[in-house]
Amino acid sequence: MKRALIALGILLLVIIVPLVVQNEYLFNLMILICLYSILAHSWNVLGGFCGQISLGHATFFGAGALTFRYLWLSGVSYYVALPAGALSALILASIIGFPSFKMKGHYFAIGTLALAMILLHTVQNLLPGVSFITQECLDQYNLLTIYYLALGVGVATMLAVWALSRSKIGLAMVSIRDDEDAAEAIGINTFKYKVISMSISTLIAGFAGGIFAFYCGTYYYYVPFELGWSFDPLLIAFIGGAGTVVGPVVGAVVFVLLKELFATHLGQVNVLIFGIVFIIVVLFLPKGMVGVVTLFRRSKKTR
Amino acid sequence: MALFLQILSYGVINGALYGLVALGLSLVFGVMNYLNVAHGALIMLASYAVFWACYYLKFDPFVSMILVAPTFFVIGWILFQGLFQRILRFEEGEKIKNSLLISFGILLIFSNAATMLWTADERAVTTDYTGKVIELLGVRIPYIGIASVVLAIIVIVAVHFFLTRTYFGKAIRAVSQDNEAAGWMGINTKMVCLVSFALGVALATFPGVVIALQTFNPIVSFDLTNKALIVLVLAGVGSLKGVLFGGLLLGAVEAVSVFLVGSAYREVVGLLLFVFVLMFRPQGLGGRKS
Repeated sequence: MKRALIALGILLLVIIVPLVVQNEYLFNLMILICLYSILAHSWNVLGGFCGQISLGHATFFGAGALTFRYLWLSGVSYYVALPAGALSALILASIIGFPSFKMKGHYFAIGTLALAMILLHTVQNLLPGVSFITQECLDQYNLLTIYYLALGVGVATMLAVWALSRSKIGLAMVSIRDDEDAAEAIGINTFKYKVISMSISTLIAGFAGGIFAFYCGTYYYYVPFELGWSFDPLLIAFIGGAGTVVGPVVGAVVFVLLKELFATHLGQVNVLIFGIVFIIVVLFLPKGMVGVVTLFRRSKKTR
Repeated sequence: MALFLQILSYGVINGALYGLVALGLSLVFGVMNYLNVAHGALIMLASYAVFWACYYLKFDPFVSMILVAPTFFVIGWILFQGLFQRILRFEEGEKIKNSLLISFGILLIFSNAATMLWTADERAVTTDYTGKVIELLGVRIPYIGIASVVLAIIVIVAVHFFLTRTYFGKAIRAVSQDNEAAGWMGINTKMVCLVSFALGVALATFPGVVIALQTFNPIVSFDLTNKALIVLVLAGVGSLKGVLFGGLLLGAVEAVSVFLVGSAYREVVGLLLFVFVLMFRPQGLGGRKS
């Protein structure tokens, strides 16, 4: 109950703040936080819950962005284009994603990385140009709209992941993560649950891609396919807490703020810091920052 | 025909380099099941080390190996003692996953640190023999290309002899076959893992030299890791003998694809080959099913 109240309070705060504080810089930050938490949650569903570490989520992010941009610029309104982008990511996943479950364990990780690179190179070759917003669409471009859209998708994602984590499907996924052979032995259809996990994950990634394409005015077509979009969600989810509901959001907040803090004079130093923290987390804190908090709370209780 | 031979010769030269790139990764993976994806970043750092050695100390790139290789042995030693030894006792699947994640972090750290320290500019070591070629049957082969093929053959053969003919090499092979049993036979398995990891990192020196003679920047580390993984899979995981073969195969496939569909899809063809091998023959082209 207490937790639900806190969550509701935070939600009200992030809804009201942009209406009170008319600050573009703040909008941008909050949109980025939403974008990265959605993307990190997308990775989290597959990597955190189901244990299938993907190094190629940029594939689905990029597919969402590409479809959204194309539909939006050809006159479809953004609230239709956004789910369409997500759907295109899912379709792409069913073509190239599901077969990649033939690759087990670490092969899946490097296989998805290879797929992401194939797509990056292909898009670079086929669409070498810059994507920019046309005049008609520019009228629709409004930071507040984008913010509420990103927030809406973000909250929906979080609720979906929360529901998933409490459902039978979520339990099946966790059991695959913990021991795939044992899960199979007790009668869980591992392939089926991996496919479900990847479907949800890629849908969310497609939404994130659509929001990127809505938010980012002008960019090269290949930018949403860049490797960074695969690596960042992995770092964020791990540091925040992989396999938790709040972890990716906490990670995204820290990631974006660190990025802003150093962007002006040191460029990519946030990735450097995140890399170091990431290694520490992998070695010592399997539940990330969220795990530290629960540990702390538990030790207080026992005392 | 002359064009095809020309392209193929580049394929062989690149292929030898790919073999060298994958060598250290393959050694480490074979001995202790660590998937060290930071290997590409280590090669990139080795290229910088060679570059600075040539720039400040006026060394020849091939001479600078004497200095760079021991340095990287020490770096490998430190990396193992600081990080990788912590997961040595994990069971196989967990070990691969955790080493992949840790080295992935290292890859990000090194490539970003290199960008911050030395900018993302393209660099290259220029020597007296840079750009010189010999003509053979109408095919122009650069001196550096010949040198890198020779270097690859020497290094891979040397590693092979080290592993098969020396006492310590035999200990390494024993550990890679059965860690536990090797321990019962009185081999200090942790020491063997430590030395072979450091050796694997030191092996980054040789591709580092070759790449320093071409052009490189910090971003190249991702590409190199990628190539190393492709060769590792083509060769059959953990097979050192297959590394040269796998590298040459990749080089040849890339060369042929350049000839057929143009250089734009060079990377894609190698990656597609990789994905198909991963899916249908995960034990590698040369490996046997276990």
